[in-house]
Amino acid sequence: MFDILIKTLKTGTVTTKYPKKPDIAPQGFRGMPELIPDKCTFCGECAKSCPPGVICLIENGQEKSLTLSICGCIFCGMCEEVCPVGAIRLTQEYELASKTKDELLTIIRRTA
Amino acid sequence: MTVEDEMEIMGQRLHEKIKNIFGRSLSIREVDAGSCNGCEVEVNALSNPIYDMERFGIHIVASPRHADMLLVTGPVTRNMELALLKTYNATPDPKLVAAMGSCACNGGIFGETYASGSGVDRFMPVDVYIPGCPPRPQAIIFGLMVAIDKLEQKIRKLEVKA
Repeated sequence: MFDILIKTLKTGTVTTKYPKKPDIAPQGFRGMPELIPDKCTFCGECAKSCPPGVICLIENGQEKSLTLSICGCIFCGMCEEVCPVGAIRLTQEYELASKTKDELLTIIRRTA
Repeated sequence: MTVEDEMEIMGQRLHEKIKNIFGRSLSIREVDAGSCNGCEVEVNALSNPIYDMERFGIHIVASPRHADMLLVTGPVTRNMELALLKTYNATPDPKLVAAMGSCACNGGIFGETYASGSGVDRFMPVDVYIPGCPPRPQAIIFGLMVAIDKLEQKIRKLEVKA
């Protein structure tokens, strides 16, 4: 019995203090993908490689737009891997819950 | 004021909100609508000593009739469609629906096929979307915090009607 007591006292409290204190995800955690509009060349490689198809490249005449919906994203990191200029990267951000789908949508546009 | 101070105040507010709105508890019914069980593992992790969601008064219950909130995982397969709707109708008002995981939000990797619908919001109104494949336990706690805000508004609406 004393063994268990000593073990308990040695371990201490393991519960995280999460909502009170911020919890930073460990190194290498694949969180929210982030688009960098200045670097993007609108080549469409990320849209081709995305397994659930949440990245869309839409060409409407002169205007090109890239939409990324985090809603169905599976955080695989394929887009980051194939991007030739490094315009898309995965961050450590994981607090993504929202009340509407529109909040989870990222759109970048460019007129040629 | 530092970020840590702000987070501490946020935590206190959450605790107060749960105390005021739910009388110290929020009961969740977890519905597996064709998920790969990755999300279920994370929900299990919520009740272990490390994440311990019972410290906020959040419980997983065994029947939708006892629940305030449905936590739906999976893309809603054809076989689970009717069961999910029955569960939704059995939950007393005011109720919340949280779509947990990318599949429940938008179909995710399963997409839209003859055997699976794309997301929960095709079948019932969804209050909170929790993306992630699967979401971290902390992300689920954050999602529940967002959901509680929403329930407060719903209760107010019902009070105005009555």
